[in-house]
Amino acid sequence: MREGPKARKVLVEQRTTRIFRLISDNMIWFILLSSIVVFSLTVPGFFGARNFRNIIHHSVFIGLLAIAESYCLISGNFDLSIESVAGMGAILSAWLCGASVFASGLYVNPFVGLLIVTVIGAAVGFINGFFILRFKINPFLVTFSTYIIIRGLAVFLTGGRGVSRLPGSFRLVDTIKFLTLPLMVYIMLIFFMFFYFVLEKTRFGRHTFVIGGNINAAYNFGINVNRHLFRIFVLSGALSGFTGWLMAARAGGATPAMARGFLFETLAAVVIGGVSITGGFGSLTGVLAGVLLLSSMRSALNILAISPFITEVIRGLLVLAAIVLNSVKRTVGRK
Amino acid sequence: MDSTSKRKVILKIEKISKYFGSVVALNNASFEVYENEIIGLVGDNGAGKSTLLKILSGNFPPDKGEIYFEGRKVDFKSPVEARQMGIETVYQDLSLCENLDAISNLFIGREVYKNFLGFKVLQKREMESETLEVVNEIGIDIPSVKERIEFLSGGERQAISLSRFVAWGKKLALLDEPTAALGVKQTRKALDLITKIRKQRNIAIIVVSHNLQQIFKIVDRIIVLRHGEVVGIKEKQSTDPDEIVSLITGAIFINDNK
Repeated sequence: MREGPKARKVLVEQRTTRIFRLISDNMIWFILLSSIVVFSLTVPGFFGARNFRNIIHHSVFIGLLAIAESYCLISGNFDLSIESVAGMGAILSAWLCGASVFASGLYVNPFVGLLIVTVIGAAVGFINGFFILRFKINPFLVTFSTYIIIRGLAVFLTGGRGVSRLPGSFRLVDTIKFLTLPLMVYIMLIFFMFFYFVLEKTRFGRHTFVIGGNINAAYNFGINVNRHLFRIFVLSGALSGFTGWLMAARAGGATPAMARGFLFETLAAVVIGGVSITGGFGSLTGVLAGVLLLSSMRSALNILAISPFITEVIRGLLVLAAIVLNSVKRTVGRK
Repeated sequence: MDSTSKRKVILKIEKISKYFGSVVALNNASFEVYENEIIGLVGDNGAGKSTLLKILSGNFPPDKGEIYFEGRKVDFKSPVEARQMGIETVYQDLSLCENLDAISNLFIGREVYKNFLGFKVLQKREMESETLEVVNEIGIDIPSVKERIEFLSGGERQAISLSRFVAWGKKLALLDEPTAALGVKQTRKALDLITKIRKQRNIAIIVVSHNLQQIFKIVDRIIVLRHGEVVGIKEKQSTDPDEIVSLITGAIFINDNK
């Protein structure tokens, strides 16, 4: 009987922690929604179907790269080459399929082009995985090297010049619209759902979290760690190459500088979305919210014609706030 | 246990040696473990206990010597090979993923799944109810099996590590300091549990511990390591803590005071 009140107190404490955790786990969605409300009320022209369409359309590339980077980070790894691989995917597919002066003149079918750049992206992921896993070199260093190499190759391909005049069939993914949104938006959303399912509901996803949480435990209990991480690097490369193809489709052409700056944008979105840089934590729902938040912020600041330099400062502060928030979240309730 | 000679040998190690550079971690260690017996493996820090366990669990191979499990020579290339043969290890570092809950930790590498369109879909409910059963059997309270390990205390973590032995222990279990983080009451529960599981399953257990009092409570025989060598194999009835201590430290055993 003496334990009655104490037990009740424990129960109340548990309930408050649970509520706290429910809020903090979905904090990013609250922040996203409240930012949209604030921007809608204070920024003229922000609220409206057309601008919202733009925001989600703008989110496609960073969204897809963020999926790739989330898998890498959750497994305790890094892939800095995503940006270059996307840029390479854009210029290479434009070069293969385009009709302007600096194109290859091969007039490759756009969907064959899609296949080619995805496979080449996967090959870059394979090379990353090979050096990281076989030679046990730090993923940061390996993917930093491929980041530079691939960007260099992309510039070399066309001598630094852009390629345009892509066939209409290449652009279908952007010109076909359902409910006024281009097909590529749906592709991104389907990819998010699919990779969410894999991460949360399948053995592959669980092993990703196990490896990111304690790589020795993963080995001790029979998970084939190297094979698993290989697959993640290959996935990351393939997704990045595919993203590049989409970028070319959207722009109707490509320049070797495409996707420049996307790495930091992606990392920012992923971190804001709650993925831990040190591995083991994160969810794709949070990442999607992070991507949309950055995209809506960019839109609001654009409309207000605020200096892009200040935009960078604000984005940096947001990343810092997200990191602080996540570390606070993790220390609360810890014994 | 005077009838050990008639019982079946489950594990036999013969002249096992292991070197780390110029350091001799194990030197010609040999002993046998019988079915359904509990062995206490004792020794000072650096005596080679953990090295020996890691060889038996398949974490690394010996440099010399042979291991026979159930009469057959074995040569483990990884922990999973040892585990598949029925050797379950509870690691000293607990080998837990702090970012995951107790259910996930119990089922690392053994996730229950169903094939669905080529995907291995986790059967979370099944794993949860199995985890609850095991946790109940251990009798050490944890707040919730869905709580992430990082929010649990040291004792609760150790309980979850032990739950792997309860859930998966089949033929031979290697327990490295299984009670190091437990309180007095929890320790007693854990020791009771170890003897209970032994009785239920006909399993052999090797326990590494610094606590001789605990060792004497549950084991049948004690194997003493010093500087990588087996310096004593004693039936519990025919020895006492003083003798074991002197074997561990290498002090000459003087019986004058008694």
